[in-house]
Amino acid sequence: MRKLWIPGAVVALIVLIAIAAPVLPLMDPIRQDVANRLAAYVPGSPMGRDEFGRDVFSRLIWGARSSLAVAFASATIAAVIGTALGLLGGWFRGVVEFLAIRGADVVLCFPPVLLALLVVTLLGPGTATLILVLSVLYLPGFIRVSFAEVLSARSQDYVEAVRALGARTPRILLRTVLPNIAGPVLVQLSLAVASAVVLESGLSFLGLGVVPPTPSWGLMIRGARATMEQAPMLLLWPCLALTVTILAMNLLCDAVRDVADKRGGGGAKKLRLVDRLLPGLFPAPAAPQPLLDVQGLTVEIATPGGIIRPVEDMAFRLDAGRTLAIVGESGSGKSMAATAIMGLLPPAARVADGVARFEGDDLLRMPEPARRKLRGGAMAMVFQDPMSSLNPVHRIGDQVAEAIRAHRDVPAGKAAAEAVELLKRVGIADPERRARAYPHELSGGMRQRVMIAMAIANRPRLLIADEPTTALDVTVQAAILELLAELRRAEGMGVVLITHSLGVVAEVAEDVVVMYAAQVVESGPVAEVFARPLHPYTRALLAAVPDGDIEPEGIPGVVPRPDAWPPGCRFAPRCGFATEACATPPPLEEFENHAVRCIRWRELSA
Amino acid sequence: MWWLARRIGISLLLMWVVATIVFLALHMVPGDPAEMLLSTGGAMPDAYAIAELRERLGLNRPILEQYGAFLIGLSQGDLGTSLVDDYPVAEEIALRLPRTLELIVAGTLLAVAIALPAGTFAAVRQGGAFDRVSSALAAVLQAVPVFVLGTLLILVLAQWLRWMPAGGYTPFAEDPVRHLVLLSLPAVAVAKGLAATIFRMTRASVLDALSRDHVRTARAKGLTPQRVLRRHVVRNALIPVTTVLGLQMGTLLGGTVLVEYVFNWPGLSTPLLRAVEARDYPMVVGIVITVSGLFLLINLAMDLIYAALDPRITRS
Amino acid sequence: MTEPLVVAEAVEMSFAPRGILARGRPVRAVAGVDATVARGEALGVVGESGSGKSTLGRVLLGLLAATGGAVRFDGQPLPKPGSNAWRALRARMGIVFQDPFGSLDARRTIGAQVEDGLAIHTDLSAAERRAKLTEMFVRVGLDPQRLGAYPHEFSGGQRQRLGIARALATNPDFLVADEPVSALDVSIQAQVVRLLADLRRDLGLAMLFISHDLPVVRHLCDRVIVMYLGRVMEEGPVAEVFARPSHPYTRALLSATPRLDPAKRLSRVILPGEPPSPTNPPSGCVFRTRCALALPACAEAVPPLREIGGAAHRVACIRADEIN
Repeated sequence: MRKLWIPGAVVALIVLIAIAAPVLPLMDPIRQDVANRLAAYVPGSPMGRDEFGRDVFSRLIWGARSSLAVAFASATIAAVIGTALGLLGGWFRGVVEFLAIRGADVVLCFPPVLLALLVVTLLGPGTATLILVLSVLYLPGFIRVSFAEVLSARSQDYVEAVRALGARTPRILLRTVLPNIAGPVLVQLSLAVASAVVLESGLSFLGLGVVPPTPSWGLMIRGARATMEQAPMLLLWPCLALTVTILAMNLLCDAVRDVADKRGGGGAKKLRLVDRLLPGLFPAPAAPQPLLDVQGLTVEIATPGGIIRPVEDMAFRLDAGRTLAIVGESGSGKSMAATAIMGLLPPAARVADGVARFEGDDLLRMPEPARRKLRGGAMAMVFQDPMSSLNPVHRIGDQVAEAIRAHRDVPAGKAAAEAVELLKRVGIADPERRARAYPHELSGGMRQRVMIAMAIANRPRLLIADEPTTALDVTVQAAILELLAELRRAEGMGVVLITHSLGVVAEVAEDVVVMYAAQVVESGPVAEVFARPLHPYTRALLAAVPDGDIEPEGIPGVVPRPDAWPPGCRFAPRCGFATEACATPPPLEEFENHAVRCIRWRELSA
Repeated sequence: MWWLARRIGISLLLMWVVATIVFLALHMVPGDPAEMLLSTGGAMPDAYAIAELRERLGLNRPILEQYGAFLIGLSQGDLGTSLVDDYPVAEEIALRLPRTLELIVAGTLLAVAIALPAGTFAAVRQGGAFDRVSSALAAVLQAVPVFVLGTLLILVLAQWLRWMPAGGYTPFAEDPVRHLVLLSLPAVAVAKGLAATIFRMTRASVLDALSRDHVRTARAKGLTPQRVLRRHVVRNALIPVTTVLGLQMGTLLGGTVLVEYVFNWPGLSTPLLRAVEARDYPMVVGIVITVSGLFLLINLAMDLIYAALDPRITRS
Repeated sequence: MTEPLVVAEAVEMSFAPRGILARGRPVRAVAGVDATVARGEALGVVGESGSGKSTLGRVLLGLLAATGGAVRFDGQPLPKPGSNAWRALRARMGIVFQDPFGSLDARRTIGAQVEDGLAIHTDLSAAERRAKLTEMFVRVGLDPQRLGAYPHEFSGGQRQRLGIARALATNPDFLVADEPVSALDVSIQAQVVRLLADLRRDLGLAMLFISHDLPVVRHLCDRVIVMYLGRVMEEGPVAEVFARPSHPYTRALLSATPRLDPAKRLSRVILPGEPPSPTNPPSGCVFRTRCALALPACAEAVPPLREIGGAAHRVACIRADEIN
């Protein structure tokens, strides 16, 4: 907010002074006094006199008045007409759209100063001409912004909802659409005002804007140029006034834009390519070596409201050739845990505690270059959204080949041939031709096959698949799960499958970890956990799945937010079996190959 | 190919629209255009002068005939003659245009060469010292109007320090060194606004690209940070920068008029400003059409670069 | 016998490419679909992306004007979108959207949004509207104290409840629910499905429930339509279609749906290839390019829906008899 207040206050001050100019105790800005030509100081004239002996201070303030009057008048005219045109064009389409948008395109064909000069030639210089020209110049900006916003608002469900309720068009436009496009229009308005100040001063500087003797910053600079050697201050004052005004306006524009864009959520994130080293010491390694052994993994994110922990004390073991599913609802921390293990956490998040041993080496404390050699090599990852996870500007064959060459020193031609083989391997028909395609030319299922081809390019021993089928249709999902299972069998990979679907878990996994609110609540072999769930949450989750003849049963309440985990057992507020004892955090009880985090599990399963 | 043909067709169509608007502008002014052009400071021009000007501009002929003659002349490169000295407008432009182009090309290259790497670097090291200093500098540069910067450069470098000449022009063939020295200050002034905009845009779009899913994929492949940056961040980030660059060229062309005036660079702006003041309509029209055509051409080129960068444009 | 509340006959919906220089063929999103929804009945529409199920829902609501065929509501043809009669009819129909975030206006209070329908269609005073609003909130399980709150203060499940309250404020006879639970977590899905089932029973609503997920439809709907590429593949009572799926596509869909006990589902059928483009659908049966049972005859004519085994179970497949 500070970003908004400081430039806002400066702009407000300038505007206020400009408005108050007639009532301020100033000298007459146009009264000439040849005797005091270029005087550096005259009583009552703190900034001296100009080449005609006029008071510089008074001319500066009156200059602000004429600049801002022109700028605000033209920007407002453009805003009102442009927004109306854009609104109507975007809503009714057809002829109105054609006239508004093509009209805007035509204006945009002219470089702004040139169009202004053309009009000045015809109409002669003057304030009225300036306002006319500037309004026309800024019209397209408003038309385009409001048009684009209306189009996007039109396709929003909340607008369709109001339409489906039978609201009349004016009601929809004024009550629903206009408030939602007001932000971008306001941003455009502030941009137009700032830009109009620049153009007005430029034209006045050329002697083609405001007509002398009316004071204007552009004219003052023009006049002072001739005498810049004798009286440089005469030049510097208006330059300074102009620059400060525009700077404050620009900063205000940026701040207004940030505030108006708040809808998109999230402020500027800190991003760094190089991962930071992690704190902590090496705990002693365990004796028998599973493929992946995660213990006490905790991830922290620093937010403006304090530190939140989306993953807390997470633990699981995966042996080679097996599939382990991590299942949980949104916000349970399952994806965050996987990205932490891969070393791909977003920059705001960091691993606070825990170990993740991959074939005995702790991934969390490994130097980044060493971990990079493992990533895409011995361990690979497949992501949820195959569209955004592929780079839209590179051919898919090149993207697969890139994965090969990141880890093996093979010539480009051989890597390309291998990429085609891989595409064939993941079931892409006509792989030679498809290798030359761009991601947008493929269907969702095919894109996910490409992602898998990339992941298996270097025969990884561990594959982490983060909701690999969530974005896909159910028949496509079946095909992708089949492919993953087949690859696991053939390559002997260990697979960590992250999913929210218990059905998918039952279909493909041998072991399951159930997460709720950042914690593991239960883990064990799928057959055992699904047949005899020990934790009330696992039980409720299984009962909520529509499956078979029994009507699904919802879980009351909502999943808690990560900044407000309940104290004690995190499921207690939604649990039908909660007692007072659940107010203290329950430990994760481990026995044989099963683990559960509930103090009442023994009596409940009896 | 269809895409390219379509895009060129649109450019030609827009060129025709520009010419038509410029032609119609004279007829859209309220009252008699000739009287309008001759009136200065409220004084009524005499009837004889008005009649003569109407004859000169061909205003007495039917409007369609005027329009036809205008378009035919335009297609043959005939832009009429100056009202002031009867000199052919096309010849004046042919003499001046190369100098303006030189300034534009020099300014654009300078801006791109500085701002693209600087913007990328600032984004990669977001929040670092370089980022903060260069972002602040870009904000200030964006706020200084181009003629203010030009005037201040002259005041400081030419008047006070006497390192540089205050302006002027020497043909390259005559004295290459002096030519380049004289070019340097105007080129810096022309580059200023563009550099500030490209810097900010590059920084923002690199930051955006860095947070994309496909960058995470690239990292998951085990690519080195340099390679991730080069292949998966910068290439993608250039796409929005190109769009802005195209739009920004209009501002640059306008700024060039001011810069040439400030530095006495004898490009198109000299005859243009003289003509605007003298209400020499054919000369103004000729130059406006030429520069607008140039602008359309630049935007066409930008679209081609854009299409080369983003396969989704031409292949869907 | 009186006509069902909503009757669609041979409904077509094609979208032509926009713009002067636009090229390409129109997209036929819905191709000759017959459907009826009786008063108080819940009809499920199931299909994957590109099946035309959402378009069908909007056509039945009259939000889109069908490009072919006819839709009748309560015995009357649907009026032209935007006309006064059309606008008046809005009070009798409601829609619930899939996206709990995009379907509410972030800049207006939830009370004002749920109240819209009342403000548009009734002459109730502000106090009466407020009373009705409170009743609606209680009905969908929300706290009426929070009428003045904004949508961002609510979770996904609560927003879907708001969407339902908005759609039902004017006491409509017909509700289209377009994937209302697809974006929700499993534990919340069942809550919202239960709410819809209760409301339907209490208010006697006719409902069209659109879903890509067969199991969700099973407990909520009386009948189900299975769509593929704009056409109906199979339709019938829910229990019947689940017990005896008779179209190869329905079988593929059911076999692909993961079950908690995989032994209980049909043996898996993996569909080969890619779904065809809706701009250029295959001749004859649109499913034949991916069907393991396809014969040359399947390419010749669009197979009509025909009764199989009685009880209004109909299938558009020439080999349906061999399947079960």
